[in-house]
Amino acid sequence: MRFLPLPRTAVPVVAVATGVLLAWLGWGSIRHPEALWAPGDLSRYHADVARCVHCHEPFQGPSPAKCLACHSEKRFAVRSKPAVRDFHREVIAQQKTCLACHTEHRGALAQITTNAMFNPHGEFIFRATGTSSCSACHEFGADVVARPTLLDNDFVRHLFDEGEGAHHRGRMANCVQCHVSGQ
Amino acid sequence: MTLVVRRFLIVAGLVLIAVVGAVLFEAFLSMERVLPFGHTRQGHVTGWVGLSVILFVFVYPIRKRVDRNRTWPRGWFQVHMVAGVVGPLLIVLHAGAHLHALVPILAMVAMGIVALSGIIGQAVHYLALRTLNEERRQFLQQGVSQDEAEARLHDVASREEAFRVWQLIHAPMTLMFMVLVVLHVIGALYFGGL
Repeated sequence: MRFLPLPRTAVPVVAVATGVLLAWLGWGSIRHPEALWAPGDLSRYHADVARCVHCHEPFQGPSPAKCLACHSEKRFAVRSKPAVRDFHREVIAQQKTCLACHTEHRGALAQITTNAMFNPHGEFIFRATGTSSCSACHEFGADVVARPTLLDNDFVRHLFDEGEGAHHRGRMANCVQCHVSGQ
Repeated sequence: MTLVVRRFLIVAGLVLIAVVGAVLFEAFLSMERVLPFGHTRQGHVTGWVGLSVILFVFVYPIRKRVDRNRTWPRGWFQVHMVAGVVGPLLIVLHAGAHLHALVPILAMVAMGIVALSGIIGQAVHYLALRTLNEERRQFLQQGVSQDEAEARLHDVASREEAFRVWQLIHAPMTLMFMVLVVLHVIGALYFGGL
């Protein structure tokens, strides 16, 4: 009741098949790297990125330095709204990771900003305070996703004073709840 | 329905339930997440644990070949069987139904072939072989000639031969599976970071 041994040809046949497979994968890695290695299709925003190493640092993953090669501070200054521009300027200055808010390889139609910070005050807050960035009044954690803390500075104090008691912590989120006409 | 066929259907059903269960559990773990479970830190840990468990399966064939004069390493064979089922299931949990890159897909397919052939070998072929030998022995004890016994056992023997294919698949495909696993791990570390 013993199993039969493997035929002698099994090992060389498998070795040759494995060699062919490796050669095919090597060729495919040069011609179609995304199909062989990527966990999903690139988004439409990065569809023109031709090579993996344009965004990935070998054995370090996607690095902020690679992102900044295209998404420089200068580009944010030219193409973004002030709030977005100033927020990213600080992220760049503090060398925070882009991956806290952005991701990729989720498909051509997927959004790449996954942990986008929602501004509950709306654009009204920038007009009211004369600032252009969330970080003028808020301190964000290292991963920028955590709930921000309110700073104690001139902008915040001025806003509280302006409210004559109506502006206080926990009641500031939705400006237009009271400022109905945006005034 | 013969005993062997019934065993085959039971094994196929259990394998299906286990794989579907692991995929559904992964889907549950991926719910309300931006990234699928396999791309999270916990998913990576699951992959490493699965691979570590799978590596235990190699102790048995190594022990068996290194010293052929020693008794058959029954304990390590049991480890081989358990690790050969638990490890791949952890990898299914790690991967879920998120299949895109060809290298990990091929690694999954190779792993599936190796694991399934092993399960078929132990749970079905072994039974088919034992049934064949027992029936042959009974015929011979009843005074039936060798040729006549072989003729009467033709159906059972052909079924045993069909399930014996697992032997030709199981060990050789393991080499291809390990090559693909190494490529997948290197690729994941190269593009995702150490």
